[in-house]
Amino acid sequence: MKHADRNDEHVENAVWPLGKSAYPVAAPKGKLVDLNGKTIGELWNRVFRGEEIFPIVRAELKARFPGIRIVDYSHFGPTHGAGQDKALAEMPKLFAQHGVDAVISGIGA
Amino acid sequence: MRASVAAERAGLPAVSIIATGFLTQGVVVAKGLGMPDLAVAEYPGVPMTDAPQALAHKVSATLISQIIDGLTKTAAPAASDESVEPAARDTVFSGTLDEINEHFHTRQWTDGMAIIPPTVARIEKFLRYTDRDPDEVLGTCPPDNRLATVWSVAANGVMAGCKPEYMPILLAAVECIVDPEFRLQDAGSTPGWEPLIIVNGPIVKELDFNFGSGVMRAGRRANTSIGRFLKLFMQNLAGFRLLPGGGDKGSIGQTFNVVLAENEDACAELGWSTFGVDRGFSENENVVTVQSVVHISPPTYSAGAKAMDHMRVIHEVIGQNTMAYWSCIGLLFGKWHPLLLLGPSVAKVFAQDGWSKTQIRNYLHENVRLSAERLDAYARHCGMTGLSIKGQVEQGLLPPEYAQSDDPGRLLRCNIKPEWIGIVVAGDPGRNQSKCYVSNHVQGPPTSRRVVLPTRWKSMRAG
Repeated sequence: MKHADRNDEHVENAVWPLGKSAYPVAAPKGKLVDLNGKTIGELWNRVFRGEEIFPIVRAELKARFPGIRIVDYSHFGPTHGAGQDKALAEMPKLFAQHGVDAVISGIGA
Repeated sequence: MRASVAAERAGLPAVSIIATGFLTQGVVVAKGLGMPDLAVAEYPGVPMTDAPQALAHKVSATLISQIIDGLTKTAAPAASDESVEPAARDTVFSGTLDEINEHFHTRQWTDGMAIIPPTVARIEKFLRYTDRDPDEVLGTCPPDNRLATVWSVAANGVMAGCKPEYMPILLAAVECIVDPEFRLQDAGSTPGWEPLIIVNGPIVKELDFNFGSGVMRAGRRANTSIGRFLKLFMQNLAGFRLLPGGGDKGSIGQTFNVVLAENEDACAELGWSTFGVDRGFSENENVVTVQSVVHISPPTYSAGAKAMDHMRVIHEVIGQNTMAYWSCIGLLFGKWHPLLLLGPSVAKVFAQDGWSKTQIRNYLHENVRLSAERLDAYARHCGMTGLSIKGQVEQGLLPPEYAQSDDPGRLLRCNIKPEWIGIVVAGDPGRNQSKCYVSNHVQGPPTSRRVVLPTRWKSMRAG
């Protein structure tokens, strides 16, 4: 430890108390050009009134994009709590099974 | 955000609906998972307090367009910090004690109290108390997802005011919290739970932990600095800093817990197993257990020479008045672990009256109950709008007895399994007081590790 004096006080060299990040930074996937004709999967953590919010979102999207198909959250597991890990692990298989093109996830509150 | 990241990793664009108050936490989670530019659609305000009409209006008027944009438009990348992060041994700041504290406070690398500067020399003193490589990775610390290393444990131990010989305890505690079953990523959830470290074994006396009067007060160095350490470590490695900018969403929160050390002499006198043995370890093995604590009972006084004299009060004050309310969340997630801290004199009455720890657990399991109607109501107020007792039974998370009837007045057991009730004997031996520490459902379940001492422990301690 190298010390120097500054007004009779020791000067010390402190190191960083954090650590390396476990994940490299990645950009999100490319977006969809148009939602018409696409299949959207809903993921819900089973909290914060998703049972009211998702149906409104569903209706609005169908009104604006008549060709849209929505696979509602009941087809996927809860994304929070006891079932979270299982749900996340099974997701790629379920996305493929339902032909999902994009995902809406909620409700973070 | 975690589900959106899972979708993105599966090759699909995703957008996350997040309420205003959680946007910062969402940013921390996304950044920690390596996707800082994930699309977000903001629900303005607090969904749990909006009238149905207001909720519908917000979704139609503001949320839907953000969802569409999130799936179809590429947002400008968030301003990224291009600077290379320091290596473990790099000096990040040189200065006096005051200057270093100011530098660290400004960057939220402290808990708001003064720290001991983490210098290489101080850290190396800690490293002498482990045989492990300083660069060994103990695990990942979500949501910030920084790697917990032996070195980072020592650095934060220095900062918290620990003694170097506490290092084996610090390592064991961190091993507990980086266990994926512990769900460290949820330690910033709104209930504002804190980790509680419980220490068992000869190390309790060797390192001078307090297990008597004021056991849960700050004051004794081992209890206090190690308790502070874990909170500081979670702040620095997992990112649980206060707003603005932090991942801690504890709505009101509480301060860190000092270490709870068990009075193992009292256990031996009663013929009771220690908490460490209850956790599956051998007698005389040094054990660290960490579990979440979301709230604590009143100091509960019970008097009398018979076990039931005490159990009646414990059932009422600790059971019905403390365990029952938050058990609604534990039941809906299928797991929770209350910890009963019995004063030695209270434990002695139970033992002398022939009660084992198992009987105490069984009594509370059988008799602490709440109506299904109240459990559902408490859970809904908390925001669990898509979960139900019946649904959890169907998923196998709760035993069938919870759905045997649709009568809202039926009384449900608040404790799912008697063995999930922990019992520790500690506190003032000259008084008749007990307390209960309630855990936060699946978040922070009791997680234990054996304390591994360095090969030269005895000579170092003697020297």
